[in-house]
Amino acid sequence: MPWMTAIVLLPLAGALSLLAVPAGNLLQARIHALLAAAGTAALVIGALVVFDRGDGGLQLVDDFGWAEKAGLSWSLGVDGLSIWLLALTAGIFLLAVAAACWRLPDRGAGYLGLILAAETGLLGLFAAGDLVLFYVFWEAMLIPFYFLIGIWGGPDRRAATLKFVIYTMVGSLLMLVAIVATAFAAQDVTGQLTFSIAELRGVSFSDTQSTWLFLGFAIAFAIKLPMWPFHAWLPDAYRAAPLGVTVLLAAVMSKAGAYGFMRIGVPVFPEGASHLALPIALLAIVGIVYGSLLAWRQTTMRLIVGYASLAHLGFILLGIMAFDLQASQGAVLQMVSHGLVVAAIFVIVGALSRGAEGETIDEVSGLSARASGLAGVFLIVSMAFLAIPGSSNFVGEFFILAGVFRHDPLLAGLAMLGVVYAAVYTLRLYQGTMWGPLRARAAERSRLTVRDAIVLGPVVAAMLFIALWPAGIAGATEAALARAVAPAQLAAGRPPEEIAAPVSQNPPASHLPLPGDPIGALPPGVEVTP
Amino acid sequence: MSDLNVVVAVPALITSGVAVACLGIGMVPKRAVRRHGPSALALAGIVAALAMSIALWGERQEGFGGGLRADRFAMLLNVVFLVAALATIGLGWRGAEAVDRRGEYAALILISVTGMMLVAAAGDLITIFLGIELFSVGLYVLCALEVWRERSLESGLKYLIVGSIGSAILLYGLTFLFGAVGSTDLGEIGRNLSESSLTDRPLVIAATVLIVIGLGYKASAAPFHMWTPDVYEGAPTTITTFMATATKAAALAAFLRIFSGVMADLLPDWQTALAVLAVASIVVGNLAALVQKSLKRMLAYSSIAQAGYLLIGVTAGSIQGAEATLYYLLAYMAMTLAAFAVVIIRENEVPDGDRIASFAGYGRARPGVGAVMAIAMLSLAGFPPLSGFIGKFLLFGSAVEAHMTWLAIVGAVGSMISLGYYLRVIAVMWMSEPEPAILRRTLAPSGPVGLTTVTSAVAVVALAVAASPVLDACRGAAEALLVP
Repeated sequence: MPWMTAIVLLPLAGALSLLAVPAGNLLQARIHALLAAAGTAALVIGALVVFDRGDGGLQLVDDFGWAEKAGLSWSLGVDGLSIWLLALTAGIFLLAVAAACWRLPDRGAGYLGLILAAETGLLGLFAAGDLVLFYVFWEAMLIPFYFLIGIWGGPDRRAATLKFVIYTMVGSLLMLVAIVATAFAAQDVTGQLTFSIAELRGVSFSDTQSTWLFLGFAIAFAIKLPMWPFHAWLPDAYRAAPLGVTVLLAAVMSKAGAYGFMRIGVPVFPEGASHLALPIALLAIVGIVYGSLLAWRQTTMRLIVGYASLAHLGFILLGIMAFDLQASQGAVLQMVSHGLVVAAIFVIVGALSRGAEGETIDEVSGLSARASGLAGVFLIVSMAFLAIPGSSNFVGEFFILAGVFRHDPLLAGLAMLGVVYAAVYTLRLYQGTMWGPLRARAAERSRLTVRDAIVLGPVVAAMLFIALWPAGIAGATEAALARAVAPAQLAAGRPPEEIAAPVSQNPPASHLPLPGDPIGALPPGVEVTP
Repeated sequence: MSDLNVVVAVPALITSGVAVACLGIGMVPKRAVRRHGPSALALAGIVAALAMSIALWGERQEGFGGGLRADRFAMLLNVVFLVAALATIGLGWRGAEAVDRRGEYAALILISVTGMMLVAAAGDLITIFLGIELFSVGLYVLCALEVWRERSLESGLKYLIVGSIGSAILLYGLTFLFGAVGSTDLGEIGRNLSESSLTDRPLVIAATVLIVIGLGYKASAAPFHMWTPDVYEGAPTTITTFMATATKAAALAAFLRIFSGVMADLLPDWQTALAVLAVASIVVGNLAALVQKSLKRMLAYSSIAQAGYLLIGVTAGSIQGAEATLYYLLAYMAMTLAAFAVVIIRENEVPDGDRIASFAGYGRARPGVGAVMAIAMLSLAGFPPLSGFIGKFLLFGSAVEAHMTWLAIVGAVGSMISLGYYLRVIAVMWMSEPEPAILRRTLAPSGPVGLTTVTSAVAVVALAVAASPVLDACRGAAEALLVP
């Protein structure tokens, strides 16, 4: 059964089926959207069950042709890295659809359809096993988000969407050129034209090629992440988007950039990645500090969370660029955990804004007196947000910092600043809104509604689950991540006992034996791995 | 030399014959016949020519002493021209004011298509020039067809003057080529020029430069594009549609026939000239389009930029490059038709329907039409998974393969800039409040206009989803080009 194809295309099918719903029949639209989102989530759970946790390669592979002559193929699969992001995507989107169905904005069918289209984009991105397909989803996902922000967004939506799209496209068109250049550079080495990520992984590019190609990809990923100094689109987009869409942007879409680094940047261009590891790690630390400081000084609640995300994503990037198995596992854990926590905290910010009838932190305080349920959940979520030991974010950050510390104690020390700042901005948000004299225009409206509970319940449960049993995720990522970071570890000259997986290397075409050559005639130093 | 072999000319004979018949029907006194007769007859003729072109798909056949060739390349382009004409007549169905000129309208479009088919099927320099003149003259008149509108007359006059200069330069270049080689037969020229280089053939240098300039005018590639915005804006919008799709395809066909087909061995020499043309078009078209207020003018500048992308494939000089250009021509036709169709729909409703501002909130009022425009704009901007993306991907890929990565980067940067204006149209349509005048909520207009509009948008998607067979056809056509 083409399992992955079904997962990726089911939301799109749901979106298309919404076209057939007669205008104004919103009940039917809700049923279509919920069925599609829930069906996708069920399929992802099925994939989690059949997934072999010990295998580091791609599983559940679907490989159909599309336009092979042009190098385009429909090739999907999962490994220990992407399965968790698929689960995060399917879960968060299901909740987003459910919350949207509870109270639909006007032109509700269009809203639901676009959310489902965005889900297909993200699921396809995380499942793509082919560079061109990756690019297709990378870009296609932008279209629904563009419309979601542009049609249902706040007052500055047009400027925000334009900025958002242009920023992203600048990076991704360079990535397109880099994709083509990668394929042809690889053809010069191996003699065959392919865009398959798995096949490109073992190709030995020259140092210069590897560095430039990595850079072409890295800019696109850095903009999407966003990494400082490419983050200027983030505050505008987060503020202009409807809250439900902001949740999707922060919880799921921001993981696309980090995933790109992990799936393509580091494994395919290990030499380039190791050349640029230090500059990128430094930028990540600048992002951590800068994001934290801005989050500290913001008064708009959404932006506090938005800039704090910038800092958290800096941690993830730092973990990826450490080329350390533990740090990479931490990065994956942090991706999932951050997705959950940030979704929860945006829902809470939504509740706070209802009570304040405004977006800024100055307009509200002392809400715990009236909305005790909110205060309780907010406390749990804040503790996770500032990564207190025992919370889901803590595990990820700890793994990352431990892994970074092993190679570069100074970098780890600088990154620690982010841990300190996290307490400052999170507690400021919590204390400022929950404690002190009661001050809010409509404090009663801050109470948790059923709609909030639909999202918060499962998300908080998942957060606690990860906090209690992080090995459930980390263990399953080990085999895949060991293979992904091994070439970069080799290129960075790490000691062999750290490198947990064999490095496969395709020898240049000139080194391959020709028919008639004596067996074992390979030049010294070249080994052919099947 | 092959003998007469009339069969290769059948598609052109059908269209030219039907053109004469259309002129006749246009003079019938009965109003209903005069109104729908020519269009209906033209549609039938186009469908017959399409069927004949598809039937001729296969190995090359020569006719008229080598002056005409029926090969896969010519037949693929015939499909482009004929479909563009089909769509133009479909889109012009509602133009009620032109009842008295229906006959001329249909006949001139068919005559232009005949000229274009001659260009694509040319086996001889004379045929190329004949075809180019034939479609140019048809279009000069078509641009000025709305004689009661000053802008239309201005457009026709401008196109006549600039177009004649272009033709003259092209003819001059062709004579130089004839002078250098001593033959007008393309196969003969190809043999003569093979394994030579421009440095020892000064006459061929002059010929190359003049031909590039002459065809540059026809393809509206910068810096020979000055006429395009004015002519596109002034001409009746259906004619603009026809020019933006079919004329561009015809000019690109001539580029491919002469440069990739005949001068393949001189590639290093003409490559630079075409690369300059491509870069200039991409830069000028994209930058100028950013500041336009009229959608027709914006699409005119966008078509200049698109000509630049198309030339990337010719510049690459490889089979992959030609294949990419042909695929992108198909995709470009579909998305341009869709975009202009929406303009035509709006112009049928309000007098200044080509202003971008007049589309405010249109997507909300007419979701169907708005969606067509969104698909067209996103595809023109190169968003996957639409066909515009696959085309650009192939074009940039052919440039990288030809070791011209910088050209691919210029194309990518141009695409980035183009987002600024393509997305503005979508933003205006979907993200601002509708004018109170648009009250009637309809999905899409009915009749031939609506059918053409929706079909074009579907084609944009279908060309991407079913890319494989289309690319096979394009590959076949590109290979036919290089058969000596």
